[in-house]
Amino acid sequence: MENLDAARLQMAFTLIFHIVFACIGMVMPFFMVVSHYKWLKTRDQVYLTLTKSWQKGVAIFFVTGAVSGTALSFELGLLWPEFMKHAGPIIGMPFSLEGAAFFVEAIALGFYLYGWNKLPEKFHWITGVIIGLSGVASGILVVAANGWMNAPSGFDYIDGKFLNIDPIQAMLNPAWFTQALHMTLAAFTATSFAVAGVHAYQIYRKRKIDLHKKAFKIAITFGAVAAILQPISGDISAKDIAVRQPVKLAAMEAHYDTEKGAPLYIGGIVNAKTQEVSYKIALPGMLSFLAFADFDAEVKGLNDFPEDERPNVPMVHYAFQVMVGIGSLLVLAGLLYFVSLKKKKWFNYNRYWLLFVILAPMGFIALEAGWIVTEVGRQPWIIHKIMRTKDAVTPMPGIVFSFYTYIAVYLSLSVAVTWLMLRQIKVLNNSNH
Amino acid sequence: MLYVVLFFLVFSLYLYVVLGGADYGAGIVELFSSEENQKITKKTVYRVMGPVWEANHIWIIILIVILWIAFPVYYNIMVVYLHIPLTILLLGVTLRGVAFVFRHYDAIIDDSQKIYDGMFKISSLITPIVLGMIFGGLISGKINMTEDVSTLTFYDAFIRPWCNVFSVLVGVFFASLCAFLSSVLLIGESEGGKENIYIRKSAIAIIIVFIIGVLTFGYGYISENVFVQDFIKNPFAMICVTLSAVVLIPLWNAIKKGNTIWSRFFAGLQVFFILLAALGAHFPDILITETGSISLLDNIAPDSVIKVLGISLIIGGSVILPGLFHLLKSFKMIKILEQDTD
Repeated sequence: MENLDAARLQMAFTLIFHIVFACIGMVMPFFMVVSHYKWLKTRDQVYLTLTKSWQKGVAIFFVTGAVSGTALSFELGLLWPEFMKHAGPIIGMPFSLEGAAFFVEAIALGFYLYGWNKLPEKFHWITGVIIGLSGVASGILVVAANGWMNAPSGFDYIDGKFLNIDPIQAMLNPAWFTQALHMTLAAFTATSFAVAGVHAYQIYRKRKIDLHKKAFKIAITFGAVAAILQPISGDISAKDIAVRQPVKLAAMEAHYDTEKGAPLYIGGIVNAKTQEVSYKIALPGMLSFLAFADFDAEVKGLNDFPEDERPNVPMVHYAFQVMVGIGSLLVLAGLLYFVSLKKKKWFNYNRYWLLFVILAPMGFIALEAGWIVTEVGRQPWIIHKIMRTKDAVTPMPGIVFSFYTYIAVYLSLSVAVTWLMLRQIKVLNNSNH
Repeated sequence: MLYVVLFFLVFSLYLYVVLGGADYGAGIVELFSSEENQKITKKTVYRVMGPVWEANHIWIIILIVILWIAFPVYYNIMVVYLHIPLTILLLGVTLRGVAFVFRHYDAIIDDSQKIYDGMFKISSLITPIVLGMIFGGLISGKINMTEDVSTLTFYDAFIRPWCNVFSVLVGVFFASLCAFLSSVLLIGESEGGKENIYIRKSAIAIIIVFIIGVLTFGYGYISENVFVQDFIKNPFAMICVTLSAVVLIPLWNAIKKGNTIWSRFFAGLQVFFILLAALGAHFPDILITETGSISLLDNIAPDSVIKVLGISLIIGGSVILPGLFHLLKSFKMIKILEQDTD
């Protein structure tokens, strides 16, 4: 395997894992504090049991998220030293602020986990809220740094040199808001559906129905709201990408030839050689409309770009289809949940719970697919139109061994975390409340 | 503003060495304890470190972020030539972190605890050794800087810089320092008259620190290590080393008496002097290659970046430090305050 491929795979692999850990660590505190709030208001022991159980989940995921994040902060330099040499000072600001937010989160977590019966109740609860808020702030800041790779700004690029650096403008690059909004909603959707799915399974198996129903409701409310809002954010993102990274949009839609009134392809199999998309559903004019709010607008096709500046079209297209497909499904599921609040008898149907069990991993699949669209869609650039990924990779040979080591460690870690969660649920089901 | 950035760089490094070091040391102390003492240590470590251990380790992230933002060229050399030990370090940090959490948050206590304990102890020993080896790699003068690394053998380019006797000695020195810091910390935290265990361990650890320190210097001197030779000629470094040796006397007294406040204070002060000596001996040329030294201050980021970074650090610091202080205070980690409030 080429060094570049190994480095890219290692980065992708560690990011895929980190994203899951980090999202759960970022969103679960919100469930925890809602349950904690209900415990404080109602003094219903079930909420206390649930809060303490979720808190263990938060602790485990926070740490796995934190250590895999630490690894990533080093990997950026270890795998892409040329990139960091130039980009480090420019995108340092969101990273340094992220470090601060992360620190606040760790401090708040220390207070929260060890503060039961030691801290005043209100203060204790607030530390829980701070965990959640600083987690979201961390996420937004890291995504802002990624946004800069897609929309590099805050410097002048003259004769291969990065001059007149403005770190604030770099942080507030044109992509930061759309990406951060999309990712935050995605994190809430994915985690909520995953957690709700786990509790739905327990209800499906008729275990501790009261407790798991309460847990399900808290989690799915966040997920349903986020899923319903996500298409709006998606639309903002699409319009933004159409202008900033037209080649990415073209790859997402496997749109090869520039045309006015471009159709939107749903599904389809891409043949990159013949540039044909078969078995698709084409909606005339829709791509033009989604990209530019005009059915007749011209949408640039892949053939308008040099061949060595195009990403892997089939991969980006399929990932995009998966993301949008699942996203739409989760919007329907979110609406279904709100309807079921009116039609309470649905809660008695086992197939209702089974549906949410099936949906449990979907949010994360969509989220990972979305990141494939963003990252693979930016290739061959590591900094859009400025630096190619192949020019940034480490000169150290043999990265493939490091890649295999990471696979072994992270896979074991995932198995271990899953196993711990199963034990957690087992104990929860055997508890008195 | 560069001074603010440099201050935070040294400050983060110091806190990482002291707080993170004590944290690593806890695992090392546990590793070298009898079975009964291991249980006591595990319990004490959880109670003492639990609320703060994660925060302790964020200092290394702050450190690395400052390096890459403000000193990108220096950072670049590190990540290219010390790629392998940095990767081992990361794996160590990962395994250690998850082992710590798993062993305390696993809902069912059974034989799997043995795996977590083993993982925790071994990674607690290896990680600081590798960390020390990385610093050793920076100053051992074995980095072979070249425009095209493919002209060198893999061993010469990526292994020899850090995998040499001097670097290993620096690594072992740092690990023993961690064990010492942790033993001193645990004196004040043990319950039921168990502090004698840690008083004894502190005494053993400080002797080991001293012996390894002498060995490291002795070897460096004989093998004509540039850093050691310059260190000896540098009055500032020698004053710091002398002070750290002088501090040993009150430290030893405080440990023998089991005085928590003063033993912690002098232990922290001793590490401060050691670190100051190590950094001051060759500042700002804290990277010694086969062909010469490279200054930390060469090719630093432009003023606009340093300014924004400095401001971010001041703002971040003013949020984090009071929070951290309050955390330590709430969980009675700061003994002097505890006595005041009692």
